[in-house]
Amino acid sequence: MLIEYYPLNSPLHKLDVRTKLIGFVILMVIAFLYSSPVINLILAIICWVILLYVKAPLKRLNSVIKPLIPIFVIMFVITGFSYPPSVFESVFNKQVLFYLIPDENVPLTAGGLQLGLTLVLRIITMVLASTVVTFTTSIEDILQFFKKMKMPYQLAFIITTGIRFIPTMQRKAEMIQEAQIARGAEIGTGGIIKKIKSFIPILIPIIVNSIRMSDNLAVAMLNRGFGAMKTSTDLDEIRMMKNDYFIITLSFLILIIALWARNQKYGVL
Amino acid sequence: MERGSVLIDVEEFKYADNVSPTLKGINLNIKKGEIIGIMGRTGAGKTSTLMLLNGLIPHFYEGDLKGNITVNTMNTQRYRVQTLSRFIGLVLQDPETQIFSLKIDKDIAFGPSNLAFDRNKIKEAVLKSLDSVGLKGYENRITTRLSGGEKQRVAIAGVLAMDPEILVLDEPTSELDPKGKREIYDLLIDLRKKKKVTIIISGHDSEEMLYYVDRLVVLDEGKIAWQGKPENLFRNVPFTKKLGICPPELTEIGYLLSQNGIIKEDEIYLTLEESADDLLKKINPVKNNKVFVKQKTKSTNDIVIETKDLCYSYDKDELILKGVNVKIHKGEFVALIGKNGAGKTTFSKHLNGLLRPVSGEIYINGKNTVKMSVAQLSHEVGYVFQNPDHQIFAASVKEEIEYGLKTFGFSESEREERIKNVLKFVGMENYEHRHPFSLGKGERQKLAVSTILAMAPGVLVIDEPTTGQDWEGALQMMDLFKELNDNGHTIFTITHDMRLAAEYADRVIVFADGKIVLNDTPSNVFKQTEILNKCFLTPPKTALLSQKLKSLGVSEKNITVKEFVDSIELKLN
Repeated sequence: MLIEYYPLNSPLHKLDVRTKLIGFVILMVIAFLYSSPVINLILAIICWVILLYVKAPLKRLNSVIKPLIPIFVIMFVITGFSYPPSVFESVFNKQVLFYLIPDENVPLTAGGLQLGLTLVLRIITMVLASTVVTFTTSIEDILQFFKKMKMPYQLAFIITTGIRFIPTMQRKAEMIQEAQIARGAEIGTGGIIKKIKSFIPILIPIIVNSIRMSDNLAVAMLNRGFGAMKTSTDLDEIRMMKNDYFIITLSFLILIIALWARNQKYGVL
Repeated sequence: MERGSVLIDVEEFKYADNVSPTLKGINLNIKKGEIIGIMGRTGAGKTSTLMLLNGLIPHFYEGDLKGNITVNTMNTQRYRVQTLSRFIGLVLQDPETQIFSLKIDKDIAFGPSNLAFDRNKIKEAVLKSLDSVGLKGYENRITTRLSGGEKQRVAIAGVLAMDPEILVLDEPTSELDPKGKREIYDLLIDLRKKKKVTIIISGHDSEEMLYYVDRLVVLDEGKIAWQGKPENLFRNVPFTKKLGICPPELTEIGYLLSQNGIIKEDEIYLTLEESADDLLKKINPVKNNKVFVKQKTKSTNDIVIETKDLCYSYDKDELILKGVNVKIHKGEFVALIGKNGAGKTTFSKHLNGLLRPVSGEIYINGKNTVKMSVAQLSHEVGYVFQNPDHQIFAASVKEEIEYGLKTFGFSESEREERIKNVLKFVGMENYEHRHPFSLGKGERQKLAVSTILAMAPGVLVIDEPTTGQDWEGALQMMDLFKELNDNGHTIFTITHDMRLAAEYADRVIVFADGKIVLNDTPSNVFKQTEILNKCFLTPPKTALLSQKLKSLGVSEKNITVKEFVDSIELKLN
């Protein structure tokens, strides 16, 4: 899971949710514009620095990144083999390191490896950038954003409440797992069938508990007058401030420069 | 009809998927500004009655409703629950699913926002309702980091912010320590005084009901079995018990004394002062000072659990356990008490290896547990969790119990044998093929105990076995553990119920702030009123009464009703 929102007083927490989303989209566009790993590495570092700056508990990202490492390795290797030298522009990238199958079939190219690195870095950038948004933006702000986008309030509320209860469900799942371990359950061991079967004692209580919880939530919403009136008041209205306009302008400026530079064949493999 | 009043006139209500009706004949007339208490066994229809009041029945929980409910001059059948919520606030039991936001102020604002109150009015309401539940200055805190008691208060504040004329609370104090409980009741009294709010509250604690409610309504099998002033019911101790309610301790003492002609029946005690004053007059201080206290000593038995300087922390900043040293002997019945967040559950989870200490050691039967897995430890230490629904997954009672036995590798005939024996022991013979989710709460809890018991561990760790149970259910559970204890099992239980700790345990351990504060026999622990109060605990009422009568030579060690009555009788004869 990404790191959930925690109210702090950093400038990023104070930015409007729309500004952050525009920034996020522009960052992603730039990441996809360039196939050079250098640019993507710079983007990942920028996100990392922002996360350090807002004091996000980065250790928790380990659990997101770690399971991805084997996938990263596979991506890196497969992409390395996937491109013939002809697709690359620079001489360096056209180099063939060796052929997997004799008679010059399936070459490993320097460009392919670089591209593989880019793909990996793009995923890391995406994880980091979305963590910036989730860590600094409250669910109420996202809800208001949906409302401003004219999304039906009910639907927006369901989505945001769903997000809000993920940590609660995680805690519940941990408690269930503990209860079964205490009965001698060995979860996730043995052959594939045994492994799948070993999850049943955890899955069923989770499902039963979630159904019960969603029922209780619906009741609690009614008790708090959800849907009593046609409109509802927001405690703090999201508003664009000077900083927001500044960041948005800056983001678009960077985007234009990036587009221009890409057109000049910068950052192309 | 007046605003703020309630008129229930229900002949029958049957949930859509039930065979028989849950409520049968509920006629209740509640005036504005009254405080009504609702008691009764689990399954007697308390929550259903409360859900009639704001229209959850029949709008959300559908079924056959014969009758009418008029709340605040509005017929609940004709208005939506959301609309009624403007006038009648309902706080349910589980605070976890009543908190919608990560920040407290935003959560409290949820209700008034839905009612489209003005923004400034909402901000004011948020601060005011937080203040009135004793959480002033909490508006920027994170809801997920609150303790159970704090969450319960946030849930109440969230409804208060909507400024209801009628407030309905379903067992609002079940997770609070004694101090927290008192604060909530003081708040309710205050609301009634200042705003004439009508209050309807359900619960299992007869002492609270006795002190705070104007009128008590007792439900039994979906009917109103009794209503009137609470003292009138509790003085009739046998009838109170028949309705499945635990009479207040002092009232029970008074009743037993009246049976022996020591006091008159209409003098049966209600308060501590009353009983102390009366007994001070009646008893001659010099006569007979023999102490009547069960003195069992098991401290010479072998040590089954020993912890040495046990420390634990979830993140490296703050220690949850700060050097716990405990020795538990074979065959002991130990009760662990302490307010929420004192570290009781954290400590218990070390005993079967679910948690591992950051420093310190644990020995089970003399073996260091560092290298033992939870599965290995579970042969020796069985852990029964608080919520049976966290473990039940099988399609029948038999399969549920069999699961653990299979993981232990018992043969089929051995498994059959054990399942039979354990079900017989907990009084659930012929339940083998029932579906676990069709059982009542108490039976599910027994099933959870059975699943552990079948594996025959020498030590049983039980986390709050009586929370959320009615009196009879709690006694049944405790009697079951007593019997196991008599058969040689070592019992280690976490509990909030001081009276049960006094009656059942050989030893009481008091936790506060990750440390052991007291560790002694119940009678020695419960005479330390001051220390206990500092830990937000109070001794059972009988212990307090014994302390007050110390000058007469009544031993402070009389902490249960029976011990106390016996010693008084001995003095008078």
